[in-house]
Amino acid sequence: MLRLNSESAGTNRMTYTIASSKLGVIGEPFIPADGINVAALLEGGFIVEQSTPKAKKPAKTSTDTNEEI
Amino acid sequence: MATSTYLSNPLVTVNAVDLTDQCSSANLTRVIEALESTSFGLTARVYVGGLENSTLTLTMYNSFAASETYATLKALVGTQTNVTIKPTSAATSATNPISTLTGCYLETLPIVNAALGALDTIDITFTGGVYSVAVA
Repeated sequence: MLRLNSESAGTNRMTYTIASSKLGVIGEPFIPADGINVAALLEGGFIVEQSTPKAKKPAKTSTDTNEEI
Repeated sequence: MATSTYLSNPLVTVNAVDLTDQCSSANLTRVIEALESTSFGLTARVYVGGLENSTLTLTMYNSFAASETYATLKALVGTQTNVTIKPTSAATSATNPISTLTGCYLETLPIVNAALGALDTIDITFTGGVYSVAVA
């Protein structure tokens, strides 16, 4: 089964913010280290998910390359 | 002479959450499984080191309040996580090394351990994972 993550799907990139002083300074961004169970932190209310809108790609413009001779 | 006395300040984190104020006992044991390699001609059993299987056992006060014991552990059962422990909450150093089990497994979580007139405490054990120690 092909699985797309949010980044490759071209939507949003997830970042996390600390919501509990047990984890760090509330409001600071949280960058999970390898091995940290992010789902458990979300479920426990220790962090909140924030979606950062990805920069929009410029609109594609079609160029007619078939020049008439 | 006793040289390591724990009065109040060991630091314990589970899945990066500081649970020091809910923990009353911690026992980190490094285990490397013994594989017997005794052969004919020897007069005593001999062993070589196998896979590492370290454990961290914590005794914790059970709290169902926000950001406390239950909130931290409830989603970790049956999954891997990281745990750390160091002798004091002071900066990590050669005399205050921080030990980490990365990718250790929590198999069981007691939900309620009720006894009349006593605080609810639970014992949990994290097993396996990669042991490392840092001094800075």
